[in-house]
Parts: sequence; structure tokens; C-alpha cells
Amino acid sequence: MIRHVIDDLYQIGEHVETEHGLEAILTYVILNDGNPLLIDCGSHIHRDSVMAQLTELLGEGIPEFLFLTHSELPHAGNIAAITEKWPDIKVIVSNVMLPYIEVLPVLPLEQITQVVPGTKIEMSGRTIEFVDALLKDQPGSHWVHDSRTGALFTGDGFGYMDTAEGSQSVVDGSDAGSAGDVSQAAFEAYHKIAFRFLRWIKPERIAADLRKMFAKRNVQVIAPIHGNAITVNIDKHLDSLIGALTAVNKSYRK
Amino acid sequence: MTPQDTLQEAKIFGDGLGRVAVRAITPNIFWLTHCLGVLAQDYYKEYFAVLPNAADYAGDRIVDYPFSAFLIVDEKSLLIDTCGPKQKEAFLDAVQFCLDGRQLDYIWISHVELPHAGNTGALKQIWPSSQVVTVAGGENYELHGLENALTAAPSDVIDLGEHSVEMVDALFVDHGLSQWLFERKTGMMFTADWAHNLHEPAKCHCFKFLDEMFEAGYDAKTHVEDIKVNAWYQFPWLAWCDADILCEAIDDLFDQYDVKILAPSHGNPIRKDFKQFIPALRDGMRMAAEMPFSHVL
Ligand SMILES: [Fe+2]
Ligand SMILES: [Fe+2]
Ligand SMILES: [Fe+2]
Ligand SMILES: [Fe+2]
Ligand SMILES: [Zn+2]
Repeated sequence: MIRHVIDDLYQIGEHVETEHGLEAILTYVILNDGNPLLIDCGSHIHRDSVMAQLTELLGEGIPEFLFLTHSELPHAGNIAAITEKWPDIKVIVSNVMLPYIEVLPVLPLEQITQVVPGTKIEMSGRTIEFVDALLKDQPGSHWVHDSRTGALFTGDGFGYMDTAEGSQSVVDGSDAGSAGDVSQAAFEAYHKIAFRFLRWIKPERIAADLRKMFAKRNVQVIAPIHGNAITVNIDKHLDSLIGALTAVNKSYRK
Repeated sequence: MTPQDTLQEAKIFGDGLGRVAVRAITPNIFWLTHCLGVLAQDYYKEYFAVLPNAADYAGDRIVDYPFSAFLIVDEKSLLIDTCGPKQKEAFLDAVQFCLDGRQLDYIWISHVELPHAGNTGALKQIWPSSQVVTVAGGENYELHGLENALTAAPSDVIDLGEHSVEMVDALFVDHGLSQWLFERKTGMMFTADWAHNLHEPAKCHCFKFLDEMFEAGYDAKTHVEDIKVNAWYQFPWLAWCDADILCEAIDDLFDQYDVKILAPSHGNPIRKDFKQFIPALRDGMRMAAEMPFSHVL
């Protein structure tokens, strides 16, 4: 389902059923004045619908870059279809990735560029910046910030389990289920499964790093892959996320 | 060459980015491993460049990093992980060589990443009746190409005949849904992404067990340093940990399981005198947690 997020940013993709609720598997598209950018490319089980949605949204537009937050199948599962349709697309991944073995071997390795956190790409009046993925399940992951929309693409971080009603809309303050607000419990259900390392950490330390990251740049949109984009109450959602991480950590202590 | 001949020397399938070697750890347990050999210097240069002491890994000393699977052959056979799609042809040949005409009964997956699970579909095509086993907890495994998996939880046991494997709570993980495995007859503990060293192709360390590496110039100090560096890369969350709690968990693990063989995904297996290495595993983890992390926030 194509959904407009803000300005020239759209999300596409599907939700799948899990034991804990509906999990989104999204791709983000920045139209970027005719030079579209993709963030992740969805699951192979949604190949036909992802490609149809991309075609509908882009028309004749040819995406120049595919930024992969990381290379697991739900994030990079359509890389074969994408490179078949747009053979010249450049794929950008983290410097701590080993593309020859961690990305599906369906495109020449020369087409994949690795970037270190802190790298910035300037294009059509916007700056795309790669930063460390503070919540990740694969070492070779990064988050991506877009200066024009203020979107922070957080990969697996900030994922949440949704309801049928909430999954219908981006989180923009409207009153349909979680579309009004993502609860701490919804973040908690997701992060407990995704990040088992939370059992070992001091929550206040990761909280401090997350707050620094948000304080340092203009974040208007939190754009997770496993939850619809969040465009309202950014500070409050950061608080809820930190509350969820703290609760997951506590759940491991008897 | 018979599968058991690989107790002494490796049998190698394929080459370059796709090669896979077989070594028998015991007459019935095989290590199937991919590493780059002479190509390592090209592929790991950037990877290790972010270390404070990069020259120790990608300059004066050129290291290599294995991606491994393990196969237990008994009345029933069980494969631990699958190597990656890039190694598909050589890996399938290697599994068939070790099975020596038998069926593959279980494809047990530690976690969903491609280098660990990426050949599951290809294996299922050859052995359609094999059962995929993944960790319970709520993932939609179809997303990872692991549909129809049987899910297992810590302390669940699969009987293979003389061998039996117990699911182990994976302590130190990248992916949230991960499991480790303990084989009760031999005392082999599979620890996926934790507790691995590095090796040097130039010193002919590829496809060697740790005791053989020590005979070929590897030493205890480098071993601890390698465990540290690998943990630092693999578990960036160590930035937010106190080391003591990790060391306690390591001690508890080896109190609970009488480990005699250590089989990590990305290191050279320890087949002898395992207990003497426990302090190195603990110290390496402590040192990793105490290393600076330079997160770009
Ligand atoms: Fe992930
Ligand atoms: Fe994910
Ligand atoms: Fe992993
Ligand atoms: Fe791994
Ligand atoms: Zn090697």
C-alpha cells in the first residue's frame, strides 16, 4: 500500500501476521525531484506487490540509489527484481558489511558501495547522512537521515507491532488505533524479540546515545521498516522507545 | 578420500569466493567452512581499517574470517547452519560428501542471516523431507525463506542416535532470535557468532583446528586479542555493558555444560583441551566491553 508520509517521502510495503501482532515490512521512497532514492526494498514474499507499488509511484522515474539499512531478506529481499528493472542502481551499505557473502549474489559487487558512519551525500538540495544504527541485529547496519524531510530511517529500530486498524495509516496523530500514537507496549513487544542484547546493557547508556543522536539533527519523522512512519510527537515517541528498552532489560532480571 | 580422512587434512570443494572445505572433528561430526585464503587481504582491508590498531589485522598481519556449518552424522543427521548462497555449489557438494549416501534429516538454523541460513532452500530441494529447525519466539520465518520450520526453545532435545543435541539459550547474539546448540555425547558446544579467533592464510591456518594453529605459530596472546576484536565488531552493544555481568554469564554457561569441543561459526574449532581456553574467552569478552566504541551519533 502506497502511503504519503511527508513532503516527497512515501512508504510502500505490506504487513505480515506474527504471534504478537502485525509487523510492517516497508520500503521508503524519496522522490527527490526526479532522482528517486529507495531505503530498503522489502521482502521477497511481497515481490510482485512491491514492484507494482514502486512502478506506480515512480512512473518513468529511475531510482539512482538503494540505501540498505542492512542486508537481511526482509530488507533486501527484492534486490534481484530491483536490479533487473533498474540495472544501473547503486546500492549503498555499511562499511562493516561483507557484501560478497551478506548480500544476495544477484548483482556485480562493483555496484555496491560501503560507507562509514558520518558519510554525507549532497543531492538536489538535500543531505543524506549515514549514522550508526544504535539498534541493530546485524553488525553491518546503518541508519540514514534525510535533511529535507527530517526523516531518520531506523531500520529495525523503532519497530512496533501494529493492529489491523493502526496499520492503515502513518502515525500522524489521527485517531485510528495506533495511528494516533505508538504505545510503549507496542515498541516493547517488538524490541524484546529483535534485540536480545538488551538483557545485558545499562538502559541509561543506550538512552543517552539515542538522545544525543536525536538532539544533534532535525528529526521530524521516525521511519522504521517494521512499523508505519511516525510524523508526530517525536520527543514523546523517543521517550516511549526508551521506556520500552528499559522494560525489556528489566524483564530479564528475576 | 573418505569423509573420515578429513580428520587429518581438508578436502576442498570449489574455489575463491565460493570455496568450502571439510574437516572431521570426530569421525561423525564435520566442520564445513568457507574462508577467503589469499583473497582475504582484498576483502578485509576496509573491514578492519576502523580498528584503533588496524595494522595488526590488515597490514603487518593479514587475517581471514571463516563462515562455518557443522554436520552430525548418526542414525539421523543434523546440519548446523548452511553457509551462504555464494558458496551454494561447493557447500552442497561438501554436505553430500560427508553424508556419504545418507539422508539429511534436520537443517538446524542458529539465526536467519544469509551466511548462516542462506542455503536452506537449496538443501530442501535435494532433501525435501528434511526438517528445518529454528528458534521459537514470534518471528515470521517465511520472510527469511524458512517456511514450515519446526521451532525449538532452550533445553529442547533432538535425538540423533548415539548423538543428541540440546538447544541452548544463546547468550551473546547479533540477531534477536538466535540459538546455540550442545551435543551431549561429544560435549561439543556450538556458539554461533561468539568466541571466535581469526587466522592467517599466510601461515597456512585455513581449515586448521586451533591446536594445529598453535603448532603453526599462533599464540595465546593473539588468541585473546582476536576474540576481543571479533566481539567488538560482532556486538557493538558492548558499548553499553558492564563486563562483570558478561563474565559471570560465561562462567555459568561452562558450569552448566561440560564442554569439550568448541564450535563457533567464525573461528577455528577447539577440539582438544577446551577448558584451558575458558579464561581467554572470558578475558576477550571483558576487553571488548572495555574497548572504546566510536558510535557516530
Ligand atoms: Fe534485521
Ligand atoms: Fe528487520
Ligand atoms: Fe549473526
Ligand atoms: Fe555470523
Ligand atoms: Zn582462511
